[in-house]
Amino acid sequence: MLEIMNLSKKYGKTLAVDGVGFTVPDGRIGILLGPNGAGKSTVIKSIAGLLRYQGNIRIQGIDSRETEAKKCFAYVPEIPNMYEALTVREHIEFVRRAYAADITEEEIRQLLEKFEMEDKQDKLGNELSKGMMQKVSICCALAIKPKVILLDEPMVGLDPAAIKELKEVVLELRSQGCTVLISTHMLEMVKELWDVTFVMDKGHILGTYVKEDLANEDLEELFFKVTGQEEQKETVEQEAER
Amino acid sequence: MGAIGYLYRRLWANWLKRALHKPITYVYMVFIAFYLSVVPISLSTVAEQFKINSPEGMTLVLTVLAFWVVPANLVAYAKRKGLIYRNSDVHFLFPAPVSPKRVLLYANIKTLFLQVLINLFVVVCGVIMFRVEIWRLGLYAVFSLVVENVMEGCLMLLLYGSERLKEKHRKWIVAAVYGLIGILVVIGFWYYLQRGLNGAMAAAFLSSDAVKMVPVVGWYISVLHLLFGKMTTVSIVGAVLYFCLLAVVVTAALRMKCTGAFYEDAAKFAEDYEEVLANQRQGGTKMRIGKKEKFGKASVKWKGTGAKAIFYRQLLEYKKKRYFIFDVNTLFALIAGIVLAWLYVREGSFKDIGDYIIPMVSAYITFIFTTLNGKWAKELKSPYTYMIPDSAFNKLVNATGIQLIQALINGLLITVPGAVVMGMPPVTAALCVIACALFSANKLYALAVAEIAVGGTLGTMGKQLFQLFIQGFVISGTVLGAVLGNMMGGTTLAYGMMALVLLVFTGAFMVIATLNFYKMEI
Repeated sequence: MLEIMNLSKKYGKTLAVDGVGFTVPDGRIGILLGPNGAGKSTVIKSIAGLLRYQGNIRIQGIDSRETEAKKCFAYVPEIPNMYEALTVREHIEFVRRAYAADITEEEIRQLLEKFEMEDKQDKLGNELSKGMMQKVSICCALAIKPKVILLDEPMVGLDPAAIKELKEVVLELRSQGCTVLISTHMLEMVKELWDVTFVMDKGHILGTYVKEDLANEDLEELFFKVTGQEEQKETVEQEAER
Repeated sequence: MGAIGYLYRRLWANWLKRALHKPITYVYMVFIAFYLSVVPISLSTVAEQFKINSPEGMTLVLTVLAFWVVPANLVAYAKRKGLIYRNSDVHFLFPAPVSPKRVLLYANIKTLFLQVLINLFVVVCGVIMFRVEIWRLGLYAVFSLVVENVMEGCLMLLLYGSERLKEKHRKWIVAAVYGLIGILVVIGFWYYLQRGLNGAMAAAFLSSDAVKMVPVVGWYISVLHLLFGKMTTVSIVGAVLYFCLLAVVVTAALRMKCTGAFYEDAAKFAEDYEEVLANQRQGGTKMRIGKKEKFGKASVKWKGTGAKAIFYRQLLEYKKKRYFIFDVNTLFALIAGIVLAWLYVREGSFKDIGDYIIPMVSAYITFIFTTLNGKWAKELKSPYTYMIPDSAFNKLVNATGIQLIQALINGLLITVPGAVVMGMPPVTAALCVIACALFSANKLYALAVAEIAVGGTLGTMGKQLFQLFIQGFVISGTVLGAVLGNMMGGTTLAYGMMALVLLVFTGAFMVIATLNFYKMEI
């Protein structure tokens, strides 16, 4: 379970996130939505432990800054950054050691095979394309066997096969009881995945929506309605028709 | 082996494996071995001249280094700087369940290799230059490699990693360190008033009891005095205080709570550092980490089409800069020009080399500042450069046009003051300006030639070595031309020959450099 309680973050005098709170229960997929500058990145970086913040973040009931919380938490950042002098396999080995993960050699092989990276195992970080880096980043996150996983724009740069695979992996994680939080602008890509959606704008959560409660509502329509961008969208569509 | 140990081992092993596959690595190794053996020997002559070729002399040199290194490190750590993290650390290491203190030590230990090399170099210098007994150097090696690093590591943990220190506290610490420097300056000034400015005063100041009593820096200097000099009461007291401080900082560092609040600053540093690296890889000159370049508002009147767009875009970018097309090279040229004129007025002449001093200085300045690529190198990284419907030669001319104007301005600045006071004939002065400008232009195209010749195989350093080699060849040719010209018709013909030789070489380089603009892949 991932719990965000009264999270606030200031950059100098600018209040980027103001008292944000939400919870993603075990075995649920949460989607964090919001226009550019809404404060999503700040929330994500705070959960990942990369920012100082006010408020509380709990992973499986433990303060996210504690080592025990970090052990069961995986993070896939928006832009993957590899160690230039480490191979793909060495990245996974490093993560395995850092998290004391109990992933076996066979499981690593299966993971790499799933993302078509088996033949790229010996490639160095600086020899990989952006898409491949993203795949390595995802493989490293999955190698932890996390109980909570945070994916920031995970589909960017991936080929269609990898996107399909990632969606299957996310659903598999959910079925195993893992908590998933995805931040994305690609609403089409997550419409069949989500259980709960948090819409953010200007540093606040504007609304929390559970899929079961919105039987027929489209995620895209919901987003535009909540953020007040519906009129804007209609105008663009009308102009496009003309 | 822990995760960080594994990370180190693999990063080093892969780096070494990759380096050993490159021929340029062996060239560097020869250079380093040469310098490491030659520098101490040549410096020992200097030490003899200044009468510091004794253990006490070594203490003085290390004391000067301590004045600079100790406060600089303290200030850097208090400002949460001085540790190099990369974006890959932010991605993989910071969110990992690794103790944040270990993450701090990981970055600190990255600099240890260089420190060990420097310490070993100091030991070698101790034997060759300062004639220090081996047992003393052995003690120094243990002290510098173990005690000093433990002290620095713990101070780093306390200053960089502390979560109790607020921003204002950090500012106080920085102010306190500057206060220590201020005390040292006051002591130095007092010695200057008492004894005047001379070598004996400097030696007395550096080994004075007052300096040894300055907290942290002075206590460290006391240990150096105990190691290499005479055992005095003040040195013993200073050394005892140093080891007491060590005990305090080790205990405090071990007990300190650190949950990783510094990750925010370290991540920001990593981002800025990567930006500087990317800028330098693209031929930029950005050196200051975290300082965004400010641009003003400007406009240009675009003229012509095709490759001229490159020239006008560069002009627009320069107009938005604070100092327009003027940079550090302009400043050097101006200073060199003024200093040359001043020296001529003071000395009355430059003896045998007087007629050629300006191009000699110009060639020297051009030769030593070889790492600055400038804007044209950036053009090669942009696919739009190759898509512009124009000839490769036009693209080269327009991409390097503003730098040629810079070269001409620098030539004028370095020549005019000296030419005026020396009473140089106008034709000779004009030829001198052309020669100086051509030195810079030649450097510019030598870089482009190096890019096309070895850019794809020998890497950045290999490219620079190749560029130095061909530039050295051109300078030799220019000297030969000047000698011939001087023999045949005097100074003006010598300048004419210089300009001609440079023009021929620069023209040839320009034609070769055009190849850079044919296709993006070399």
